[in-house]
Amino acid sequence: MREITVRVNGQERKRLVKDNELLLDFLRERLEVRSVKAACWRGECGLCTVKLGDHLVKSCLVLAVEADGKEVETVEGITPDGELTPIQKAFVSHGAAQCGFCTPAWVLATHELLQANPHPSEAELTEATSGLVCRCGTYNQIREAVEEVSQARPRLAKENLASS
Amino acid sequence: MSFGSPYVTLPDFAYHRPKSLDEALALLKEHGEEAKVMGGGVGLIAFMKERLMSPAHVIDVKEVPELRQVRHVPGKGLSIGAAVSIKELLEGGTLRGYAVLEEALARVADPMIRSRATLAGNLCEAIPWVDSPPALIALGASVEIAGTGGTREVPVSGFIRGPVDIDLNPGEIVTGIMLPDPKGTLSAFEKFTAGSEFSLASVAVALAGGGRKRSVAMVYGAVSSTPVRCAEAEQAVADGLTPANVRRAADMASEKVECVDDVLASAAYRRHLVKVITTRVLRRMMSA
Amino acid sequence: MTADAFVGKAVPPEDTVRKVTGTALYTYDWEVPGTLYAKLVTSTVPHAKIVRISLESAKAVPGVVAVLTGKDMPFRVGMYAGDRDLLAVEKVRWAGHPVALVVAETLEAGERASELVDVEYETLPAVFDPVKAMEADAPLLHERMEEYKHAPVFYPVPGTNIANRFRLVHGDVEKGFGQADELVEEEFRISHVSHAYLETQNVVAQAYRDGTYEIWTSAQSPFVVRQIISESLNIPYNKITIRVPFVGGGFGGKAGLQWEALAAMASKAVGYRPVKLVLSRKENFSSGASREGVVANVKAGFTKDGKCVAYKVRFVLDAGAYADYTVNVSRAMGYSAEGVYEVPNVQCESLAVYTNKVPTTAMRGFGYSESNWVLEQVFERAAKKLGMDSAKIRRVNLLRPGESHTATGEKVREDVGDPRKVLQTVLEGIDWDGKVERPSEPWKVRARGFALCVKGPSQPPNASSSAILKFNEDSTIDLVLGTGNFGQGTATAISQMVADQFGVAVEKVRVDPVRDTGKSAYTWQTVGSRGLFTDGVATLRACEDAKGQILDLASQVMRLPKSELEVAEGAVKAKGRPWLSIPLRELVFGYVYPNGNTVGGPVIGRGQYTSSLNTYLDPQTGQGVPTIFHTFGGTAVDIELDLVTGAIEVKKAVQVFDVGKAINPLLLKMQLDGGFIMGMSIALFEKIKFDEQGWVMNPNFTSYYLARMKDVPKDFVARYVETPQFDGPLGARGIGELSMISVASAISNAVFRSTGVKLNNLPMSPEEVWAAISSQKPELLAKAMESYGRVETAVKARQ
Repeated sequence: MREITVRVNGQERKRLVKDNELLLDFLRERLEVRSVKAACWRGECGLCTVKLGDHLVKSCLVLAVEADGKEVETVEGITPDGELTPIQKAFVSHGAAQCGFCTPAWVLATHELLQANPHPSEAELTEATSGLVCRCGTYNQIREAVEEVSQARPRLAKENLASS
Repeated sequence: MSFGSPYVTLPDFAYHRPKSLDEALALLKEHGEEAKVMGGGVGLIAFMKERLMSPAHVIDVKEVPELRQVRHVPGKGLSIGAAVSIKELLEGGTLRGYAVLEEALARVADPMIRSRATLAGNLCEAIPWVDSPPALIALGASVEIAGTGGTREVPVSGFIRGPVDIDLNPGEIVTGIMLPDPKGTLSAFEKFTAGSEFSLASVAVALAGGGRKRSVAMVYGAVSSTPVRCAEAEQAVADGLTPANVRRAADMASEKVECVDDVLASAAYRRHLVKVITTRVLRRMMSA
Repeated sequence: MTADAFVGKAVPPEDTVRKVTGTALYTYDWEVPGTLYAKLVTSTVPHAKIVRISLESAKAVPGVVAVLTGKDMPFRVGMYAGDRDLLAVEKVRWAGHPVALVVAETLEAGERASELVDVEYETLPAVFDPVKAMEADAPLLHERMEEYKHAPVFYPVPGTNIANRFRLVHGDVEKGFGQADELVEEEFRISHVSHAYLETQNVVAQAYRDGTYEIWTSAQSPFVVRQIISESLNIPYNKITIRVPFVGGGFGGKAGLQWEALAAMASKAVGYRPVKLVLSRKENFSSGASREGVVANVKAGFTKDGKCVAYKVRFVLDAGAYADYTVNVSRAMGYSAEGVYEVPNVQCESLAVYTNKVPTTAMRGFGYSESNWVLEQVFERAAKKLGMDSAKIRRVNLLRPGESHTATGEKVREDVGDPRKVLQTVLEGIDWDGKVERPSEPWKVRARGFALCVKGPSQPPNASSSAILKFNEDSTIDLVLGTGNFGQGTATAISQMVADQFGVAVEKVRVDPVRDTGKSAYTWQTVGSRGLFTDGVATLRACEDAKGQILDLASQVMRLPKSELEVAEGAVKAKGRPWLSIPLRELVFGYVYPNGNTVGGPVIGRGQYTSSLNTYLDPQTGQGVPTIFHTFGGTAVDIELDLVTGAIEVKKAVQVFDVGKAINPLLLKMQLDGGFIMGMSIALFEKIKFDEQGWVMNPNFTSYYLARMKDVPKDFVARYVETPQFDGPLGARGIGELSMISVASAISNAVFRSTGVKLNNLPMSPEEVWAAISSQKPELLAKAMESYGRVETAVKARQ
């Protein structure tokens, strides 16, 4: 057992954890961050995706102690004011969720992609989300949702130059 | 080999996060066979869930500065620290000149896994279907190993002894991977996947030098329990990538490379795929 | 607000906001204070007597509360075949069969202890092939089959491994073959597949000392879960409450009983503490139920002008160790054998056979998907033999509404749908007569193919539904349904209908996401694409009931006969005199006169639906009326086949269904897209692989691959035909399962039409396709390899 301090969705959380505890279980069981799901427990499905520091990671393959002193962000963290973010709104209007079990992971992954790259190409979207799976088959609706947010964002002068 | 675990929690272990290579080595010496080194943790955590490994001590080397470096060693090549993530390696042209490795790593799993996984970890898993070992063997890479008794360097081809079996003794740690100076080496990687995230067959090719001094390495992955070179195919293209030579190499590889049946594919299909990917990779190298 | 303000509109499902914010809670997220965690211990051998189970070392692990075995709960449970145990009693029937359950304070302790349970087995001979399992000397899985409580429509054969034998005879098939000019005879195979719902099977159960049980479960049909537990364990229905929060996918795999009874008995055994059991993915693969494998032998006779005059088929289902739901799959496979066609002479036998492999159960489109794989390919093969266009042979044989009879002898009603228009729309969608695009490489083939399908819900004749509509003080509506909501959006579509009935905004109608047997309206199950139809009709009746109450009150208050009043725009209005109106708000909780005197009270509408049309099927001939509607549809694809690797890529997909009435085009598109993707994934990638001991070899998503974004065609056409069904809700029919039925057949037909290569086995993995090309058309492969090896083109490209 050791005490770790993790900044989760902007809030500092201190907890005693066992050395063998997974970040997934730390978030779900100890902090009750329930948007983080699991479906394979071995890094294949991507439902446990969280942002750890600067990167998206699969929290079923990360130890809780590794997050000590770091920042973790989940879907709960991208909607701080109660207002839905553009990608969340687009998921709703395009029907990009069916059973919804994988949806938080897809929202987080596409949100992060759009933050880093406001106008992702088809190939960039496919690559960025290649670690995620959706059994209901909402892929086309997710594409449409990302496309809509991308279209709505102004292109930077630099990007216009590049594309013209 | 059936992958998948009924368990979702990890066995008990003590976690250590050494801040230097000396500290890491001291921990390894103290705990011997009871210790496992963790880089990105992708392989180790999965193996621990499956109870293929149950170390009492896990030594996380992500913050060991000596293992975080990528450096040019004059007269030798590029040394890639064991704790450098694949994502980091793929950024900023680090692997310029090592196309075969870059191509293999760019398709490892997905970006989230690549931000954690390391090249050394990928190699140490020694899973038959992963892509980096054939690429490393084609480049003539070696594994840099440190122990309390000193350091040693082993060629990758000898390092992998079998599935999940590597030449690493208790108390030792992989500190890095040494890629020899590329010096105009032309190299490329191809794989075929279907119904699996893993490769059914892969090939790594490196052509170095020219004329009579030309050296060729063609290494096949995922077809057998460990990566295998095909001398006959190499011989076929030794005097140049002509269409006739490429065809001969593809035929030779398909005939000579030993392929196995497993959960992903039959040996017969793999033999066919070997021909297909050999043609594909050499065709690409011809037009490069 | 007009009468059709919301019906027909693309209203996004109302529960998506919770899903995108991570606040939709599933059983997996459910925690009850004091919860204990359960872990399965499973058999390592396929078939054996249990000699001894040593629990001592497991019990000694700190945190372990109890280790239970089959002796602690020797119940036989089930819905249709009644053949299951909670934990193995006396013997194990497959490698993966649960033999013990560890209950502990933490999951970690439970897992640690589960490794220490030691079971001694006395091995029995095992059988893994369903055809061999029917042989006289095959090892028997269920020695006491005659004691099982089978539902009356199933025909087990005690003393064998046959869990159900369904027979259908229509006309005289031998006479039909005598009239035929061409015969098609084939064997088709279908591999086991996993539903792969992302939320694995899981449950939280709490037994109370007063004899009641509360169970939270990721299930499709809470009322059937309650029924099975009650009937099998002899507990009164009203002492069991089943609660279903959000469900992370079902696809039929959560239609019946899962682990609810086991968890409930465990809770009782550990002193009435709540027990949570979550299967890992591997456990879900090797101890949960999957879709069965099938071996089908078919012989069909066609005349020169394309008429199918005889169709004889035998389906042998590899049902695994338990066939509780699969007996119904074999029945549906049998009676759907003839699909969308009218064939005068049909003979069909469909057998669910026990083997020492994972148990099997229903899956999206069950029975129909499998029979479609056979039938639609037989028609394609016949077309080629007869030199006839694929569309023409279908037109010749298509059912004619108002005239034809189905294989079960049911007269096809005029309002059943328009199969001809569906076919036409499929052909237009794929530009059937247009030029096929050139392949991207000379060793590839570009091709088009299609397949048609039909399906109705496979449910017992007495399956019923109900709905309760409660007005609130502000005239908003709480609509109480029983039908589950795991992505189909049924509650949204039904809410749209309710909104229009009262002329209110759809936001004013709400369905709580949690289903609860104590609080929800009864519905038999959420399966078979039945929800919109059955629960939709029940809801419309509840609307009528509520409107009647409102108009009665309004008539009194307004002093006008009821016949002169109507409910519209959220108010009661006098017909033709809209200025005479009272808002619903002033009526639905009682009308208050100026002096405070109040008449009426809270309005609660109720409605129910039971089909009076369905019958049992005749045990010898399979004749009768098995379903409440038939939805017709079809799939067309444009594919590129790489002859060199055997890989198939879908470039374009067309899905067409006669939905009767499109209540919500967005939900419809989501189902047609999603169903295609699942169908394509199963068609091209998915196969549970077993080793020689019946162990699942690929119990994970690395080697059991599911379609990802990169695999999905972007060119996707979803169209619908609207032939209203007289007794459907506003004319609508169900669609959820339909969308994946004809996908695999369409892909295979494209390959056959273009290359003549027969792909008889699912999945059409690259290796399977390569093997088929190598053995059937070696010259085609040789030519492709030659062109592939012509690397000179690469050099030219460089110059």
